[in-house]
Parts: sequence; structure tokens; C-alpha cells
Amino acid sequence: MRVPNLLRLIYRNVVVNTDPGSLIILVGLPGMYLVFFGFGFQSITSSSGSGASYLSFLTPGIMAFQVVMAGTVGGAMLWADRRWGMLSQLLVGPFTRLQYLLGIMLTSLVFGLTGALVMLGIAFALLGTGPTQPLALAVIFASITVGTIFFGALMLLISALVKSNTAYNSIQILILFVVNFASTVFYPLSSGLPLALRGLFEVNPLTYVADAVRGGYSGTLTATEGYQMLLLGVETVVVLFLATRAYMRSDVSYE
Amino acid sequence: MGASRVGTTPTKTGDPVVWVENLRHSYDRHHFALDGVSFEVRRGEVFGLLGRNGAGKSTLIKAMTTLIQPTSGTLRVLGLDPARDGQRIRRQIGVVQQAESFDFTTVQGNLDIYGILWGIPKPERVRRREQLLTRFDLGEVRKKRAFDLSGGQKRRVQVAREFMHECEILFLDEPTVGLDVIMRRTLLDSIRDEVRRGLTVVFTTHNLEEADYLCDRVAVIEEGRILVLDELENLKRLYGGKKTLELTVGGADGPRFFSALTEALGPLAQLTTNGGSAVILTEDPKGALSKIVELSQTMGVPLEWLNVRKNTLEDVFLRSVRREGESLASA
Repeated sequence: MRVPNLLRLIYRNVVVNTDPGSLIILVGLPGMYLVFFGFGFQSITSSSGSGASYLSFLTPGIMAFQVVMAGTVGGAMLWADRRWGMLSQLLVGPFTRLQYLLGIMLTSLVFGLTGALVMLGIAFALLGTGPTQPLALAVIFASITVGTIFFGALMLLISALVKSNTAYNSIQILILFVVNFASTVFYPLSSGLPLALRGLFEVNPLTYVADAVRGGYSGTLTATEGYQMLLLGVETVVVLFLATRAYMRSDVSYE
Repeated sequence: MGASRVGTTPTKTGDPVVWVENLRHSYDRHHFALDGVSFEVRRGEVFGLLGRNGAGKSTLIKAMTTLIQPTSGTLRVLGLDPARDGQRIRRQIGVVQQAESFDFTTVQGNLDIYGILWGIPKPERVRRREQLLTRFDLGEVRKKRAFDLSGGQKRRVQVAREFMHECEILFLDEPTVGLDVIMRRTLLDSIRDEVRRGLTVVFTTHNLEEADYLCDRVAVIEEGRILVLDELENLKRLYGGKKTLELTVGGADGPRFFSALTEALGPLAQLTTNGGSAVILTEDPKGALSKIVELSQTMGVPLEWLNVRKNTLEDVFLRSVRREGESLASA
């Protein structure tokens, strides 16, 4: 049986991008956030006597954080393939440009969902509990899927537009920092935050993903998460369109 | 590797498999990297594109392999239009690009992944991989990462990789860059073997010796235009009305001797000097020889080395490029 082109590309992307270094970044970094931040800040909340478990707050946030990590891998795949000549080599092979792009997006999705599952497993081990309702699980994985496509497309857009390695790395680090720390991944949106920072929280797509995953995890989903997901869906379509256009128009070679 | 070739369109040896007419391409809308190129490549031949760096060879390869869409003109590969049937064309071609291109894995891994990408079933993939590792002398480095190899080894991996799958036409963009003499010959011989089995090869190079060794027909390309195109022997004959004499004189009187010789030979001979050595192109090698000997005796300048040789591809190349330069200057 002949395996479709797209699956062959996904297989290749997974094989090429699952070296130990990439896996440490992809799963190890969020895992370490979960353990170090989870237990580190847990002691603060315990000593303050609030009674809330920071670890149970952080766990769904870190699952949402996977969408950024997976998106970064997607952008890095395009960047590396262009930098090391494989993009033009693949495009003189039996694939279309669109298949290549879809291959990267779907590989990001594989990484995003696998990473979220790993985090869920770690959370179960640490907390002894987790979401069991099918609807909650569906919301969690649907929001992670849309979020991964959004961040994958965003990173592909940057990767298609930026020509310098240094510029690409700097932009990526900046985006990672702002997106992660101006979201509800690590702490809740509080009315005590400066207005500008609150605004940033509220327009940050990672906040939508984190809120939806958290709502699904704790069984407290409300209409707000529904609106956020709708907005995320629209933003994803826009960014995906821009990324596809930029990629289709871009020079395939690095030279 | 296999004897059978995947093919849908022209089938007879000698039929055109690439057809290019008045092809033009500009990257910046001002300067044309290809400026009205026309030629055809016939099934089963090795077609050489000769030219200096920046002459337009790689742009032409990119157009034929569907990587770029030409600005204007007509291009057909295996009877198909790259603008409409790019994927069908790409399924039937192999391409060794000038720049290196590898996945971050071992040599063996690179060959395997390539086989998977081309949908080669596992038993066949393993058989081909092992055969190619041996044939391209890559067995010892099979577990090394491709990026850690020497320049020549990397090139061999790139070429070997294209033999993992069947193809009708193999495009090679300067494939021997960085290879030592033995490996270069091994590679050229491998390509010859494949040509005997029915493969068509389009080959760019600025190494004239290897074009002479491998190509059936060559096109000399300069500033995006084809200056000459013919079978090698025809070109040599066409540009070979003249013979080439090479000589080296002793002592310090070289410049004076060559100056006198230029005058004695007259306008029908072209003389190019380099210190005590000179290359003379002439239609009358016998007459030129007697004048050289006579002048050497008269002036007392010893002749250290004298050689009359057949025209080579290098002569064809240099003369066609020079002729183009002269016609541009006179225009």
C-alpha cells in the first residue's frame, strides 16, 4: 500500500526533529516548569494560608504552554529546512509546496498533542487527579489543537519573512517571553495588574488556550471560554492565511 | 539503479524530453538571468551546460526542475508544462543541487529518509541503500552525521541519494565540486552506467574536462544566452579550423621573441603569452612551426618545449565566449 505524501512528510519531520536536544526543549522544559514552579510557588501559597493549590492551577497552564512550544518547533522546521537546503530539495521531489506546509503544521500538531498528553500524565502523577469527563477532555484537546495551529502558523509566518538567523532567533525569544508571561499560564489575570499589561493578557491567544484548558481541567467552563475559543479560531484562520501566503511567495532557498 | 525507468511521455531514445524555447527569467525585473534560451534535451543523452559562475546555468536548472517559474517563454519537461504539472514532472526527475542539503541525521539515515519520502518499500529501500553505500564508498561513514562529513563525502551522499528512486531525467548542478580525482571519475562512471540503462542527464559544470568525458552534446551559456550548442565532436570541428600550438622558450628574451613572432605570423594567428610561454591558434600549424624554428635560430632563443595539439572543449569554450565578447564590444 502506498503511503500518502503528507504522511511521509510528517514521518520525516518527526524523525528529523526528535533528537534528544529537541525532545528536552519540547517536553523537558515544560516539565521542569511544572515541577520547579509548581512546587516552588506552592510553598508561597501554602505559607500565605490561601489554601489554593498552585500546582493544580499551573498544570493546565503548562498543558496550554505546549502549543507555543509545538508552534516554535514548526517555525524552526521551516527555518532549518531552508537554511540547510532541504526545503528546495524536498520541493524538487514528489511534493507540492502546500503539502510541505501542511506536513509542518500537522507535525507541530503531533508534537503539541503529544506534549500535552505527557504533561497530563505528569500532572496525574503529581496531583493524583485530572479531567475524566469526555467533554472536558474534548475541550482541552480541541483548544490545544487550535492553539498549536495558531502558534505554528505565527512561527511559520515569521520564518517565511525573516531572512537572518540572528533576527529569527531574537524574534522567537521575544515572542516566547511575551506570550508566555503575559498570559494566564503561570498566574491568573488580576485586576491589580497595570492596565497595559491586562490588555496584553486579554489579547494574548495563549490566555484563551490556557483558560479553556483550565476550565476543562477543573470542570468550570463558562461562556467566556467559548467566546475566547471563537476569537482564537478567527485569529488562527487569519494568521494561517498570512503564513500560507508568505510561504508560497517566499524564496525556497536560503542563498 | 533499476533498468526500468518510470515514464509516461516520450519513450524513444532521441526524442526530446526537455524542450525550451525563448526562455527568459528575471529575479529583479531589470536584469535577465536567462535571456531567450532555446534548446532541447534528447532522451538517453548527457546534455552539458557549460558556463562561468553566474552565467545562468543554475537558473536554468531551477526552471527545468520546477523550482522557479520562468518570466516568459516555453518550457516542457517530459512533455509536461511545469507551471501546470509540476508535481507529475517532479515524480519523474532526480535533482542534485549545487548547495548541500541534508537532514540532521546519519548518512544511512539520510538515504533511508529519502527512500521513505519517495515511497520506496522497505526491502527495496534497504537493498538500494546498501548498494549505494558500497558504490559510492560511503560504507565506513554510514553512521556519521551527514553534516560532519568532508566536502567530497557530502557530495557523494547527495548524488547517491538521487539513485534511491527511479527517475527519467537526472539534473546535476555541478555535482563534482569538492571531489577528488578518483571519486570524480567514479561518479562520472556511475552516471555513464545509468545513461546506458536509459537515464537522461542534464549536467552543469565549469569543468571542461568532465564535460568532455561525459557529455554527448554541450551548450555554452554566457550572460543568460546560449552561445553555441552542438555535439562535442561537431563543436570541436567547427571551432577547430585552427590548431593549437603551445611553446616555451628559454632565457630572458621571451617577450622580445614573442613580439617578433606575432609580427612574423601575421593576422591569421592568435598568440597569447604568459611569461616565457605562449599559446598560438592558427589555421596553418606547419607554417607557424617553421617560422617559430626559424626565428628561434635567428634570435638565438632556445625552444624548451613545443607541442601541437587537437582542439579541446576548453578551446571551444574560450573561443565561443571570446567571440561573444568581441561581438558585444563591436555592437
